[in-house]
Amino acid sequence: MRTVFLASLRTHIRRYVAAAVAITVGVAFVVVVGVLTSGAHSGLMDGLGAPYRNADHVVSAAGWPSSEMDPKAVIAFAERHGENAAATGRATLPARASGRRLSETTVGPIATSEKWRWQELSSGRFPARTGEAVVDVYFALAENIAVGDRVRIGEGAAARDVRVVGLVQSPSPPAQASMYVTWPQLLQWRDHLHLNAVAVHGEVGRLPEGAKAQSPEGFAAERLTYVQNRVNSLSVMLLLFAGIALFVSVLVIANTFSILLAQRLRDFALLRCIGATRRQVVRSVRREAAAVGVLASSTGALVGVGLGYGLVALINALAPTAPMGAAELPTLWLLGGFAVGLVVTMVASWLPIRRVVRVSPLAALRPDAAVGVHTATGLVRLALAALLLVVGLALLGVAMIQDSTALMLAGGGSVFAGVLLFGPVLVPRLVRITGALLGPAGRLATEHAVRDPRRTATTTASLLVGVTLATAVLTGMATWRSAVNERIGRDHPIDIALTSPEEPVTTDLLNRVRRTPGVERAVPVDGAVARMAGLDEPIAVVTAPAAQQVARDGGAFARVEPGKIRVDPEAFGKDLSLRPGDRVTVRVGDRRAQLQVAVGTGWGPAGVVAPETLATLTDAPEPHAIWIRASSGADPARLGGDLDELADPVGATIENGLRTWESLDRQLGIYTWSALGLLGIAVVIALIGIANTLGLSVLERAREHAMLRALGLTRRQLRRMLAIEAVLLSVVATLLGTLIGIGFAWVGYETFVTRALSDATMQVPWLSLAVVVLIAVMAGLLAAVLPARRAARVTPAAGLSLD
Amino acid sequence: MAASARDLTKTYGRGDAQVHALRGVDLDLPRGRFTAIMGPSGSGKSTLMHCLAGLDQAGGGTVTVAGTDLGSLDDDALTIFRREHVGFVFQSFNLLPMLTAGENIVLPLELGGRRIDDAVRERAHMLADTLGVADRLGHRPAELSGGQQQRVAIARALITQPDLLFADEPTGNLDSTTSAEVLDHLRRSARELGQTVVMVTHERDAATYADCVVTMQDGRIV
Repeated sequence: MRTVFLASLRTHIRRYVAAAVAITVGVAFVVVVGVLTSGAHSGLMDGLGAPYRNADHVVSAAGWPSSEMDPKAVIAFAERHGENAAATGRATLPARASGRRLSETTVGPIATSEKWRWQELSSGRFPARTGEAVVDVYFALAENIAVGDRVRIGEGAAARDVRVVGLVQSPSPPAQASMYVTWPQLLQWRDHLHLNAVAVHGEVGRLPEGAKAQSPEGFAAERLTYVQNRVNSLSVMLLLFAGIALFVSVLVIANTFSILLAQRLRDFALLRCIGATRRQVVRSVRREAAAVGVLASSTGALVGVGLGYGLVALINALAPTAPMGAAELPTLWLLGGFAVGLVVTMVASWLPIRRVVRVSPLAALRPDAAVGVHTATGLVRLALAALLLVVGLALLGVAMIQDSTALMLAGGGSVFAGVLLFGPVLVPRLVRITGALLGPAGRLATEHAVRDPRRTATTTASLLVGVTLATAVLTGMATWRSAVNERIGRDHPIDIALTSPEEPVTTDLLNRVRRTPGVERAVPVDGAVARMAGLDEPIAVVTAPAAQQVARDGGAFARVEPGKIRVDPEAFGKDLSLRPGDRVTVRVGDRRAQLQVAVGTGWGPAGVVAPETLATLTDAPEPHAIWIRASSGADPARLGGDLDELADPVGATIENGLRTWESLDRQLGIYTWSALGLLGIAVVIALIGIANTLGLSVLERAREHAMLRALGLTRRQLRRMLAIEAVLLSVVATLLGTLIGIGFAWVGYETFVTRALSDATMQVPWLSLAVVVLIAVMAGLLAAVLPARRAARVTPAAGLSLD
Repeated sequence: MAASARDLTKTYGRGDAQVHALRGVDLDLPRGRFTAIMGPSGSGKSTLMHCLAGLDQAGGGTVTVAGTDLGSLDDDALTIFRREHVGFVFQSFNLLPMLTAGENIVLPLELGGRRIDDAVRERAHMLADTLGVADRLGHRPAELSGGQQQRVAIARALITQPDLLFADEPTGNLDSTTSAEVLDHLRRSARELGQTVVMVTHERDAATYADCVVTMQDGRIV
């Protein structure tokens, strides 16, 4: 049998290419996840302990990460130890450089002594005194800051100017900040300061309340474990997608083997005729599967290592702040990936090979047993499918009522398994219905496509998996997004509010705001300067009947009943001690009014009142604010910066709600695209599967095609026939997948979206789904290109003389 | 003349492996006659038929069928020419397994984009009736006997009223009684319908049904 095994491997190895590619991609996926995990781990290890390397003890919150130390106590503790202690932490503060507002700026301490200084200098020098600062190189790069620049940190009374004297590298997750100043300077913003650890040399002494002391190694290990757990849960997520890709691979491999073995059934029968035992035949075929598995898995492991290291390098080049270190070779992952690939191959080929056992030696002697025998769909299979469907649907129903995610997953899995088992009955029918829409041109293609129901079903199943999940993700994300949008619309009704509490806004300023690129609409808001009890600074009291022209919530927040004043407490910081329902006296000049406080967010430091209320306070209202609606696609940071430049000279302030929109948009976008990208791998494997099924079918139908060509089918007609066949398969899989995916998304929405956001309504992103279907059609056409070319190349005479 | 070949040559392979399948064949096929091409395997008879039928391009020489020089046609034109002027009956794999017998018969017309109307169906039925398979039209090939399959194939070949009907070992897979029936049908279509029929066979018995016999050996007519 050895010669037979080697000969068949030689003859048939090329037909295993698609199966091998499927395994390779799956294994590579697993190994890439391994390399990335290892890279992330080592990246996080780098520099983690640097700030504490000279410490004897590290003092940090006892209940970290759920509790923090009290900054006051930590500051006192650090002062007590003087030169023998250095605290790490940061304050998030507004900052501006040459009139520009910087994005999210964190300020941390830098020690003046060599012992405690852990930042590495890239250029310039370290700060020596108050008024000097160093900037992290990546932050400097992003914000275009150079040595010598002046940066104003903080706002109002707490604002301080510092000069940038150097740039540093500071890769230590617990202590990293965008800028560093000396400890005495940092204490000027002590109210904003969060301190997570103190490195101590010598005796610790009395600890601040809620703190614990550890060795530096112990501290680093604690932080590392925490971060690693987060990296690991990310790896598990990625592995989930790898699992999906591998499942699709199983379908593709199983299909490849059933087709190949069906084509060789007569060879096996002949072997049995001339004296091979069943066991010998099966062992020989199984060895073939193992050879394919070993080859493809090792290729996959190699490709995975290459891709993984490439990705680490790419991430380091594109996002230098991301913690990606030099990944070790993840031996365990490599072995694991290899083993998974081999096991997947053996498992997927198990059933098709078992069918070979049943071939009787007589089959070799029968003349031309029709190829592609219809496999009867067993009653057992149908019963099982029905059972899975019923149980799955029941579980989904219960899941929706009880909001149980576990039940939802179980039900979803069960329903999907039921659909897959129903495939041989369901899919050919759907193909026929779809094919009928194509008229007579598609008839032959339809007949070919449904010829072997099981093959058709398995081929479409692989694509079905990817499309169903992609649809569920797209629909879920669209629903989530619309719900969150509505919520943000309430929290940030005004994109950008420019408020000038003291001086009225001039017409000139309004015009300049309107001319700023990115401003779609700007309305002046009339009001008066008022004094309000409990507030040191004057406040603009405004009324805005025109708010609905610019507000994202339709101006609901600006419709205030007479006798009330609505304020945004966040805009006043800690100064405002008013609570909703309090009565407060508002005074404009010598007129006054008792008003009841209502709250809201998102329009800056102004009190909104009814027009009647304003009329009792002043006879001559003047514009004190400009409320702006940004045009879609405007860059929030840039627009905010531009408007800030207009507002700052006249003493007005800017409230930028657009940034929240953007960061949320970006986050959702990242989630959606990552999920789609990862599912894309499964879809690509499925398309390789379709191309493969078609390619192998083309081989087995070579004589039929030759006959059709002899009877007058042109090459173009033959190619079109095969293209239609592929498109039919992919379209049916896509439509079915879209349907099931929307169903799953609906269940998911009922199960956990309504729980989190009670006012969410389900959104079906028809456009995106149409794009998915369109891509499926294109991909189907693409999958048909090679098989069709090969089929059309054969001349009728050559095809007819094939055996 | 229904078809003629002049100085036809065809070579396969190169160098040592070169095989001269045809070495200058001249042949005329008169209209309305049943011609048998005989010869042992490897004599070039199948290659000759393939060239005459436009299934393969000859290496040299000319083939004229129904007044058309096949050498001047590209693949598409040749395909359409076959569709309109030539009918085929093969030894096996004659019918598409997923279509019924009736659908198989009208397939050549369908490939040409012709609408399958009542007139076509009536003609198909008439042919099937003549060939004795009218009651099997709704069945799939797997449900037909070998002889029935071959007769359905003949009906399919005749439906386009071709200038030439080629039969390549049409009785190769049949027992002697069924062979006789199939051969009789071929002879009758030549005698009664005026159909030009060319049959390739290596069976001497089969050749006796033909009006004239051409024998080939080593790529030449002897």
